[in-house]
Amino acid sequence: MRYWIVRLGSIAAAVLFAFIIERLAGGFDAFGQRLVVLAGLYVTLAVSLNLINGITGQFSIGHAAFYQVGAYTTGYMAMRFYDASPIKGEAWLICMMFVGALFASVAGFVVGLPSLRLRGDYLAIVTLGFGEILRIVVQNIETLGGAYGMNVTPKFQYIWLVWLLAFVTIAVSRNLLQAAHGLPFLAVREDEVASSAMGVNVTKTKLVAFLLGSAFAGAAGALLAHFEGFISPQMFDMNVSFIILTMVVLGGTGSITGSVLAAISLYYLPEKLRDLPPVSAASLIAGVLAVGLCVAFLKNVEMRYHGPKVKRAAIMVGGIIGAIVVQGVLARMLGNVSALADQSYEASKLRMVIFAGTLIILMLLRPQGVLAHYEFSWDGVKRMLGMKRKVATA
Amino acid sequence: MDFGHLMAGLDFSTLPQQLVNGVLLGAIYALIALGYTMVYGVLRLINFAHGEVFMLGAYTALFTSWIFGFKGGAEMPEASLLKLGAMLLISMFVCGTIGVIIERLAYRPMRNQPRISVLITAIGVSLFLQYGGALFLPNSPPPSINEKVMPESLRGAAEINLTPPDAKLKADWEQKTAAAKVANDAYEAVHQTLKPGDPEPPELKPLRDQRNTTDREAQNAQRLLDNSGVRIRIPKGQFLMLGTTVALMVLLTLLVMGTPAGRAMRAVAHDFDSASLMGINVGQTITFTFLIGSMLAGAGAMMNATFIGTPLTTFYGFQPGVKAFVAAVLGGIGNIPGAVLGGLLMGIAETTVVWMGYSSHRDAVAFVILIVVLLFRPGGLLGSSKVEKV
Repeated sequence: MRYWIVRLGSIAAAVLFAFIIERLAGGFDAFGQRLVVLAGLYVTLAVSLNLINGITGQFSIGHAAFYQVGAYTTGYMAMRFYDASPIKGEAWLICMMFVGALFASVAGFVVGLPSLRLRGDYLAIVTLGFGEILRIVVQNIETLGGAYGMNVTPKFQYIWLVWLLAFVTIAVSRNLLQAAHGLPFLAVREDEVASSAMGVNVTKTKLVAFLLGSAFAGAAGALLAHFEGFISPQMFDMNVSFIILTMVVLGGTGSITGSVLAAISLYYLPEKLRDLPPVSAASLIAGVLAVGLCVAFLKNVEMRYHGPKVKRAAIMVGGIIGAIVVQGVLARMLGNVSALADQSYEASKLRMVIFAGTLIILMLLRPQGVLAHYEFSWDGVKRMLGMKRKVATA
Repeated sequence: MDFGHLMAGLDFSTLPQQLVNGVLLGAIYALIALGYTMVYGVLRLINFAHGEVFMLGAYTALFTSWIFGFKGGAEMPEASLLKLGAMLLISMFVCGTIGVIIERLAYRPMRNQPRISVLITAIGVSLFLQYGGALFLPNSPPPSINEKVMPESLRGAAEINLTPPDAKLKADWEQKTAAAKVANDAYEAVHQTLKPGDPEPPELKPLRDQRNTTDREAQNAQRLLDNSGVRIRIPKGQFLMLGTTVALMVLLTLLVMGTPAGRAMRAVAHDFDSASLMGINVGQTITFTFLIGSMLAGAGAMMNATFIGTPLTTFYGFQPGVKAFVAAVLGGIGNIPGAVLGGLLMGIAETTVVWMGYSSHRDAVAFVILIVVLLFRPGGLLGSSKVEKV
């Protein structure tokens, strides 16, 4: 009984939360609302890839393909059937999410099949290839608009639906891990051969992971198509897959909380960098050198220093402050060189460089991802607030 | 499926030419694929930044040609084989250095980390070089360094006739070309006398019509003649390219099979831990692998930029990089003859698809072949798939 109350309460909370986000975003301008919507879609994509990659350990790097299948199916359906259909508005969009999810999971099944034979990097390259094949094939289909893209006519903007999808994705992944159903996924991740010897149906587990992960990506694609009102194959190229994969790995492979946080921050980081003032070559060089020094220092401390934790933290903070000072001094010195001070770079050109740099640095400093295997939980919050005693772990 | 209809549209007289083009393209893929395969063999790492090393190699070749004075303008220095050789060596040297730097800064600290993290680092390095390079490197440099640095002896193409052209068509072509020349001369004779701004004399129009008609007829005759015989044209520079590629591959094989460094590489590729227990300096061997692999990419880049000449941007290396990786997997990754075979197959497959009239699908065909091969031979064509044990 209590179980059902909690369950219904969670669903109500998720819907409520989605509406709160919609209300909050209502005050933003069009650009701000777009950020909220796309961040929500990326959360869905990252968490659903995490299901395949992080939780089941299938090395899939072509997630944009499922996103594309979802977007194009819905786009085509809207083009053919929207005018004649009795359902309009939100109901149509919700139906389309299911249709997109269905078609994407069929694609997921097709990709998942080779994964039964291939493992590791081979699977990675096959999934990557599948994404590319799909993009090129769509590019050559005239009915779908070819390389010029396709207009998706009714444009909808339901922020709450986007975030509800994100919450559902998170809830499904989380429940999968909490319930006994999730154990086979983790077992397959840790060791395929051993888990199959212990009676886990490896084939089924892998396929289910692919089906679930791709279905959520397909639903996200449906929302994207109707939100943007325009889709083109270029929107789903390899770089999108890489960005989604990066979110998963950076957040911590296998950690849902990590994927969510990484998706939001990695989506906002390049957007925020657009507002950056032009940077002069002098401060750019100084910055790169200082960051390099900082990373080398932190890495060395981490590897070589095994003293007390407090002292170690102090050394690290000292190093970072030192790097900031070095950066300031260097920028001043180089600023006197007129060739370097006069040459400046636009933020629009710098943002992808900073994105890539952040990626490398974070991986060098924390290869297991920012949150590693940590998950958010209310118990953890209670423990942190001192409301609950820490349970001794075995 | 109606294959008869499909075959009807194909022009088999151009097939040999396309196969030759495929081998030439495949040689470049093979050179890049060798770098991928060696790094993967030793480190089990998909080095996504390899395509960017290739891009930097092409830029190095461009800058070297500028240093030699091939930047354009009136007085261009005389091109020679020596300068081409110097460009090749400088490209290889610079790329080797860049490869070693990347390995030291980005991959070495990541050793013993989960492979997916290392892969993300590789993607990061690749993006960093693409977008970071775009800040400093010229955005749209001259489309190619092709014609400028090529010595006189390497210009033009060698022609091989597989079947002789039809004699009757040839006579017809000669006659029509001569007629076209006569008509053109007659037109030019009148046209030359005109000064700018003069009104057109009435007799010029029929002459121009005559010239256009005969010209069209001559062109038609030439097309008929061309289709009647099967011949292969190979730009002479590409002979040189193929020769260099083969020489580099032979050198690589000798290096890997016959020298202590090569033996160390093979040992590390076979078993990382045991190799280090047997007294092999694993770090040094990995650096050496990166050096050699990147040098080969540099050679490929220089030849691609010089003999083929595609517009140069900082995203230049991405597509060839991905395709070369596919080629490496296709042949069996970690396997040097496999990489060469895979590269050649990829090149031939691509040009064949273009020949069949599906040029817009040419980038997809690589992956289709790859998936089909992997499904039936998961280890690649020449590779062997290992059975995993608990």
